[in-house]
Amino acid sequence: MSVHDAIPMPEQRGGLSLRKRRLIIHASIFLGLIALWEICSRLGWLDPLFYPRPSSILHSFWLIYFQNANVWYHLYTTMVLVLAGFIGGSILGIGLGALVGFNAVIRRFLKPYVIVLEATPRIAVAPLLIAALGFGASSKIAIIVLVCFFAPFINTLSGVVNVNEERLELFRSLGASKMQTLRKLVLPDAVPVIMAGERLALTAALSGALVAEFIQRDKGIGSLILVYSRNLNMASAFACIFTLTILGFLIFRGMEWLDHRIAYWKNEAGMERVAAKRAAQMGDLNV
Amino acid sequence: MNVMASQPSKTDSVVGAQGLGKTFGGGAVVALEDASFDIRPGSFVSLVGPSGCGKSTLLRLIAGLIERTSGNLQVHGKEVTDPRTDVGMMFQKATLLDWRTAVENVLLPTEVSRAVTKEDQKNAAELLRMVGLKDFLFAFPSQLSGGMQQRVALARLLQTGADVLLLDEPFGALDEFTRERLNVELMRIVKEVQATTLFVTHNIAEAIFLADQVFVMTPRPGRIAKIVDVPFDRPRPLSIQTSPEFNTLVAEVRDILGEDH
Amino acid sequence: MSDVSSPKAPGTADHLMFRILPHLVLFAVLLLIWEMAVRTGIITSIIIPAPSKIIGAIWELYVTKGTIYRHFFITFTEAVVGFAIGAGVAVTLAVCSALWDPFKRYVSPYAIVLNVTPGIALTPIIIAWFGYGMGSKIALAAVISFFPIFVNTLTGLIQRDEDREELFRSIGATDAQIFRKLRVPAALPLLFAGLKIGLTTALIGAVVAEFAQATDGVGVLMSRFSFQLNMAASLATLLSMTVIGLILFYSMEFLDDRIVFWRRESRGAAASRAKARAWKSRMGQ
Ligand SMILES: Nc1ncnc2c1ncn2[C@@H]1O[C@H](COP(=O)(O)OP(=O)(O)OP(=O)(O)O)[C@@H](O)[C@H]1O
Ligand SMILES: [Mg+2]
Repeated sequence: MSVHDAIPMPEQRGGLSLRKRRLIIHASIFLGLIALWEICSRLGWLDPLFYPRPSSILHSFWLIYFQNANVWYHLYTTMVLVLAGFIGGSILGIGLGALVGFNAVIRRFLKPYVIVLEATPRIAVAPLLIAALGFGASSKIAIIVLVCFFAPFINTLSGVVNVNEERLELFRSLGASKMQTLRKLVLPDAVPVIMAGERLALTAALSGALVAEFIQRDKGIGSLILVYSRNLNMASAFACIFTLTILGFLIFRGMEWLDHRIAYWKNEAGMERVAAKRAAQMGDLNV
Repeated sequence: MNVMASQPSKTDSVVGAQGLGKTFGGGAVVALEDASFDIRPGSFVSLVGPSGCGKSTLLRLIAGLIERTSGNLQVHGKEVTDPRTDVGMMFQKATLLDWRTAVENVLLPTEVSRAVTKEDQKNAAELLRMVGLKDFLFAFPSQLSGGMQQRVALARLLQTGADVLLLDEPFGALDEFTRERLNVELMRIVKEVQATTLFVTHNIAEAIFLADQVFVMTPRPGRIAKIVDVPFDRPRPLSIQTSPEFNTLVAEVRDILGEDH
Repeated sequence: MSDVSSPKAPGTADHLMFRILPHLVLFAVLLLIWEMAVRTGIITSIIIPAPSKIIGAIWELYVTKGTIYRHFFITFTEAVVGFAIGAGVAVTLAVCSALWDPFKRYVSPYAIVLNVTPGIALTPIIIAWFGYGMGSKIALAAVISFFPIFVNTLTGLIQRDEDREELFRSIGATDAQIFRKLRVPAALPLLFAGLKIGLTTALIGAVVAEFAQATDGVGVLMSRFSFQLNMAASLATLLSMTVIGLILFYSMEFLDDRIVFWRRESRGAAASRAKARAWKSRMGQ
């Protein structure tokens, strides 16, 4: 090795850029880990019955998606539940949050209950709801609504309560009505916080659906994972888990996109888009 | 109502106060005591004094944001009870709405009172041009500097169409250069729209430079210690601040304020 | 100081009683309405038991039979041990990531993958790996409490306060000293926020794993009572989970208050300034 190689060259134009080099390191670490896993398994150091080989997980992917194609139905079932519960929980959470936020008396009397509710693992109510509402979609949706309503509720509440005093004073000095203050100040101001709550809610909804399916053991991706693990078909169980990873990633990105659209003034691209729209709406403003 | 006290307000005063007072906490804190004055139409009044002397309290009383605890107060001869459209207020912070472009922020006062027309939009754009923001009509607050945000707030204040303008340390958070430039612009603009202006500041020279009358206020309890008349014509050049007459006035005000300033 | 002895001063017993009383009254009234509704048959009592039934169930669980304590202790232990493991790994990894850039670069993708995967989904697999006993509950608690702690700690540690760092450098502080005396204290509030979330999450992990497969723990008790349609006992058990949650949360809050004392200080200082101002203006009157 020559001396020149030891000198760091961050401005290097030809050859590999820093980014490409990092990408290669990332890939080699990842592939190295996979290979290590596969080798350990083949050498008998990892019991493939419990710790499936990467190759068999890949094979299971092919099985559950294409050969048997059984995962689609369960995935669809779970998604429908998650969406229904998420929408229900959001409406309930945001609605209650706004109601409580605007009413100081309700807020005061509700506070101890909120503290208690916050400390309770809400998912724990799952068996109770199933017992009360019976097996089937309704109890599952009820569970999801319950686990995901809390984040939007708390966030809406705090967004509505923490309105900037100076802005409120401005609206008062303009003689704005209560309704105008609500529509033009309080709600838009709370939007970013509410959206943050919604992100948490969607993640919680997915977890809630899984727990409901673990308990009911009838259909959905949660039941599928449970059945595969019980039968020690761990490769397929892992294929399902990685499916959820991809789903989780899509949800994360989807919510991020939605957040950028709705709370447009928090990012450059959004501001540019809305500014252009407003300029077009108002047209020529020269006198 | 006291007939004698309200008499002068009918004739030539836009804002009139007789024995005006405000206490907080059931009388525990006297924020303003026994303030009496009459402000002529179109005149510029500066309020100067140390922190806690009741400057903001006086402005908020005139704006109808808080209720007085004693005395009388009229704007255009009518007792002040609520916030009203002929009085506009501007605060130390720009308090713009982050989710609205500059024009939309300026249009807020109009939106609150009625449906916005094309004329209103043009007027708002014109006001933004007047405060030197013609290239930033559709910029969001987060894309503007502190000084520019304050200009938008000024345009919004003018959009209210109020002829009594209350400004509470509007440029207090800005640097010296920006502040001086905005002061000169403010003087020109309020002359142009013929508004009666009350302007709060901590800076004695600034107070005198801008105003026809300076209310010198002292704290504990907050009261107007003296009303000083400034004899120069408005608008004035910045250079007037070096004249001997100007400095005599500064010394006079400083004297009243005592060792606090 | 004459105002301290006045009867309305905050913090005195009178004041506390005055504040709590309306809540108690409301609570009692709600319970009464509920009880009446069940007794008159407006609410069917199979699904929603009367408060008196729930109180009876609590009495039985906690006093006459005392069944709850063993399960309570098991779930509590699972949550705390799981949390300790999850937090230990999370903080270690976060510190390594903060100290060593390449580590952060090449480890964080895996942390992100772990984050977008619902940790709960691992329940059946973890049970297959760790068995039906406490081990699997602890493992799930550790896995799902890991991420919130990791991400909060890391965010806290990598936020840089350039001005303060410059000050430290100007007085000749080493990198290690800057880390210990500036970056760690600055990260503590976020670390504690993460720990609080982690504790709640650990409890959820323990309970969900108990739902899936277990013989002991409040989760087991809960599902057993539910499926026997013994709603009163089930709700009484739920209440014990709330108690665990409250104990965990407030012990962390206590530590937070003790260790991150400057936040409380500044709150206190602001309050004392406000008081001083009011006092002064009164004196000047
Ligand atoms: N809402 C309130 N409640 C209680 N006391 C108040 C309130 N508003 C003002 N005060 C008190 O009234 C007095 C005058 O306050 P004010 O805000 O009018 O002073 P200021 O002259 O505007 O001071 P600054 O220059 O610091 O803005 C102060 O002692 C202040 O503490
Ligand atoms: Mg003030």
